[in-house]
Amino acid sequence: MNATTLLQQVPVLLRGETAQVTLWTETPSPARVATWLAVTVGGSSAFGAAMGWWRAPEQALFTAVKLPLVLLATGLGNALLNAMLAPLLGVNIGLRQSLLAVLMSFTIAGAILGGVAPLLAFVIWNAPPLAHSTSAGTTHAFILITIVAAIAFAGIAANLRLLRLLERLGGSAVVARRVLVAWLSVNLFLGSQVAWILRPFVGTPGLAVQFLRDEPFKGSFYEAVFYSLRRLFLD
Amino acid sequence: MTNLPPIPPEPPFSGLPTTPVPIAAAVPSPPLPGVPGTDPAERVPIGGFFAASEAILRQPRRVWFQLTQDGQVRLTFLLLGIALACALAYGLVVGTFSGGNQLWAAPLKIAGGLILSGLICLPSLYIFACLSGAHTRLAEVCGLVAGLLALTTVLLIGFAPVAWVFSQSTESLAAMGVLHLAFAAIAIRFGMKFLARGFEQLNAQFGGGLRVWTTIFVLVLLQMTAALRPILGTSEDLLPKEKKFFLSHWTESLGLTDSGASRR
Repeated sequence: MNATTLLQQVPVLLRGETAQVTLWTETPSPARVATWLAVTVGGSSAFGAAMGWWRAPEQALFTAVKLPLVLLATGLGNALLNAMLAPLLGVNIGLRQSLLAVLMSFTIAGAILGGVAPLLAFVIWNAPPLAHSTSAGTTHAFILITIVAAIAFAGIAANLRLLRLLERLGGSAVVARRVLVAWLSVNLFLGSQVAWILRPFVGTPGLAVQFLRDEPFKGSFYEAVFYSLRRLFLD
Repeated sequence: MTNLPPIPPEPPFSGLPTTPVPIAAAVPSPPLPGVPGTDPAERVPIGGFFAASEAILRQPRRVWFQLTQDGQVRLTFLLLGIALACALAYGLVVGTFSGGNQLWAAPLKIAGGLILSGLICLPSLYIFACLSGAHTRLAEVCGLVAGLLALTTVLLIGFAPVAWVFSQSTESLAAMGVLHLAFAAIAIRFGMKFLARGFEQLNAQFGGGLRVWTTIFVLVLLQMTAALRPILGTSEDLLPKEKKFFLSHWTESLGLTDSGASRR
């Protein structure tokens, strides 16, 4: 298979042609896995570069490296757990197939993020620089919402395709939903913390542009949410 | 999409017809239903610049069919060439309002902004099409976007004489801005129709996704008017130093007009 043939698999994933995708997850090939990885990394990297560009060109480079890392670290970190949960909840697939199913959903998300990256870059190009905090209030909120909306859209589309695949693999919609919810829960749990460790992605005007914050492993995403909620409601 | 029935062979010439041909037969028949390419005329490759301009206005089915054939890359570039040339020509008319540097800056900004908008929005259109289950290739989507830009700008050329007359008559920046926006809105509407029907003809219908994309594309085009300002009026700088949302740019431009500002 040449590179063009392999890349032609991406539209098949996006269209959610589960019969073909099931076959691919049952008979994996190194070239196909490499292509899916390349699309995941390439797409999320382009989106990350657009995100970070608002703060500084250096931040664009950092976020372009870190965003794919979040996806890959989450997928690999939960690979074993996902493979255990699937048969327990009714979809009898092994480690390799569950990892490929998750990678398939990441590939879809990566392709979508890569597709909307030029749009985000255009929005950033038209926004006042993040460093000018006086004029950036409303724009900051707008850009953050744009980023969240794009990531949410990519995530939802990818998981809908994953659900179809799980339905085919498990033979039941109820079982597929159960497995998807379990996988999503553990992926969100780990993914949030990985993203917390690898912060910043957009950057903050008052703080220096860094690849990682000075103490990346200090605290956790959940502690930060907890303290934020406490400040909001109790202080 | 390319699995079409073969063209029936022409009957051999056998002198004068034995039965008289009714007058109605000489009248061009309406477009045939079905997939593009069922009419033999649609299978004739589109040759040059003017043929492509005419085809996009009068034979869109021929363009859609040719975009699925082997020479699609050439046709796509031809359509892009039409879009570029027509946008430059319309930009010159826009530039006549202020004159001076705008005579070359406005054409470059309009042509550049249009092509850039198409490039920015192209990947998301292809992704939306695939997510909606459309079996369409990237090359076909590129061709349809090129067609959208070509048809839009060809229609703008039709409006150019009217725009020129007004630009020589009025001093009001706001009035000219509204006029150009109205012309652009009409032209883009036809361009979008070409795109949507093109997807239908390629058996790639995606109503909801296409509507979302259309909104995004129009917003990108509108923002280009602020990102590349001034396109109509004048300024000391060729490109703006301050970033602005297009609505605030337009509001400020209207305010300037109220305070008596004109093209000069």
